[in-house]
Amino acid sequence: MFAPAVAVAGLVKRYGEVEALRGIDLTVQPGERFALLGPNGAGKTTLFSILATLRTPTAGTARVLGRDVVTERDAVRRAMGIVFQEPAIEQRLSGRDNLLLMGLLYGLPSAAARKRADEILGSLGLAEAAGRPAKNLSGGQRRKLELARALVTDPQILFLDEATLGLDVDARRGFWTHVRTLAAAGRTVFFTTHYMEEAEVADRIALIDAGRIVALDTPRALKARLGGGVIRLQTDDDALARTWLAERGWAAEAGGTELMLVHADPAAVLPELLRHLPVKVRRAEVHEPSLDDVFLKLTGRGFASEGAAAPAGGGRGGPNGRGRP
Amino acid sequence: MMLRGIYAIVVLDMKRFWLDRARLVAGLAQPLLYLFVLGAGIGSSMGGSMGGGAYKPFIFPGVLGLSQLFTATFAAITIVFDRQIGFFKAVLVSPVPRPAIALGKIAAGALQAYLQGLVVLPFAWLAGVPFSFVSTVALLGAMALASVTFSALGVAVAARFTSTTVFPIVSNAVLLPMFFLSGALYPLKSPTTPHWMQVAAHLDPVAYAVDLMRGALLGPNYLFFSPWLSLPVLAGMITLLTWLAVRVFNRGEDDSSLGATNFNWRR
Ligand SMILES: Nc1ncnc2c1ncn2[C@@H]1O[C@H](COP(=O)(O)OP(=O)(O)O)[C@@H](O)[C@H]1O
Ligand SMILES: [Mg+2]
Repeated sequence: MFAPAVAVAGLVKRYGEVEALRGIDLTVQPGERFALLGPNGAGKTTLFSILATLRTPTAGTARVLGRDVVTERDAVRRAMGIVFQEPAIEQRLSGRDNLLLMGLLYGLPSAAARKRADEILGSLGLAEAAGRPAKNLSGGQRRKLELARALVTDPQILFLDEATLGLDVDARRGFWTHVRTLAAAGRTVFFTTHYMEEAEVADRIALIDAGRIVALDTPRALKARLGGGVIRLQTDDDALARTWLAERGWAAEAGGTELMLVHADPAAVLPELLRHLPVKVRRAEVHEPSLDDVFLKLTGRGFASEGAAAPAGGGRGGPNGRGRP
Repeated sequence: MMLRGIYAIVVLDMKRFWLDRARLVAGLAQPLLYLFVLGAGIGSSMGGSMGGGAYKPFIFPGVLGLSQLFTATFAAITIVFDRQIGFFKAVLVSPVPRPAIALGKIAAGALQAYLQGLVVLPFAWLAGVPFSFVSTVALLGAMALASVTFSALGVAVAARFTSTTVFPIVSNAVLLPMFFLSGALYPLKSPTTPHWMQVAAHLDPVAYAVDLMRGALLGPNYLFFSPWLSLPVLAGMITLLTWLAVRVFNRGEDDSSLGATNFNWRR
């Protein structure tokens, strides 16, 4: 009955030589909070630009609320709101003027546009700051103004491309409070973020790496895929430690300055491990799997000794599996 | 949506223009310099019908055109800036048709040029220009036509640029010759004017606009082109330039750059 909020099939985007998207398939249901996570350059902004009708796909199709982003561009533009990664407000104009202009651009008569601007400013707690030039607002207020701009036409779907980048914790929390309210009212929110705790609130998450989706599931199922808890180690000689671990059937991922191991009962095996490891361990940590760990397992660079845990491509494997020794 | 879109772009640009309204006063410097310094200096060295007090009224329409031309061009430069600021992305994801952006830009630029012209206009009195009700009304009409022509010219050129450093250089290389060849500062009609300059003037939109304003203000004796030529020519040029501007804005497989991609000054 209802069209999916977003339906993407075989989407490819090339910028000359660069293949930013290499065949994305994705469906976001109406009312869903859907997160796209991936390293810089993975293609997140490119995907959003295509969904927002700013760029055209090289191949494949994309639909927003049932409308094709190429052939029904105007309908898509009317239906969605987007907060871009970079600022998209006129810094010299006041918040109220920015929103008034947006209303006019969407075809509202002046009086209605003015009324709508004040409504949104009020609902986002920006009423007092509305008269000031946008450049004089705080970082948090400015991002809220971006959100306000995206909301002028009361869209049923919102795209947020790293909308809280660079904000402090308080400002981020304030921003997400509003997004949650919007989502609770039944809107679809499709977002990217670099903050793992923001991604946790998503109903589903797609992990994207180098233009491909490497996993797509609920946060819980993604974490369950690791099949256990996580041990992170900082050692004097990671290479040696990994070789030693590999000989004993442990696949350790090298995540920057740390090694990551997965085990069904990490707390139980850690003491043993520390006793026998032939290298000095400077720090050891045991925790429940975080999205960060899943991310590292699936997209992290330099997993030289992948062994049985080879991830990538699999898409939606069962929630467990990928077991450890 | 088209008309509303044009209106929205005009409101945007006029709001930004209003923040810079000091420019209306600063914009007086150049025309007044031409009028009272160049005008006095050259006027006093000229003989015959152009000599003495007659030179300043003669160049006044030219100076008026100059100020409008530069104001319109400056307004058009905002397109190049807009490409660099994020705000225009917000415009581009709105359902405003791309031609409405071009048309809105032309309308806003013309409005600004007209306002600047109105600010320069009172100095006609200091320049000793004879005024009448009819000549004033005719001049206001001619000014409107000139404003739209210059703005369309500016937008058609600016739409091709993505670099804020290159466009001013190119526009100076184009605008100043157009101004000097337009007969703004000397009579094209005079038998001593080189023939090639008279030919060049026929290709110069500024020449038609200035000529029309001069004829409106000082009388038909001062016309170089017949109004039956300059009116259709200006209308044709406005149409052509507008079409060129719309075409650039419409172009592009990728819609995120207002038609221009990378550094495309050659287009
Ligand atoms: N306009 C462009 N021209 C050429 N390459 C681009 C352009 N935009 C993005 N890219 C490239 O496409 C890839 C994906 O970029 P992007 O979608 O911005 O990633 P993300 O938002 O996930 O960081 C990157 O390799 C980037 O360099
Ligand atoms: Mg990005």
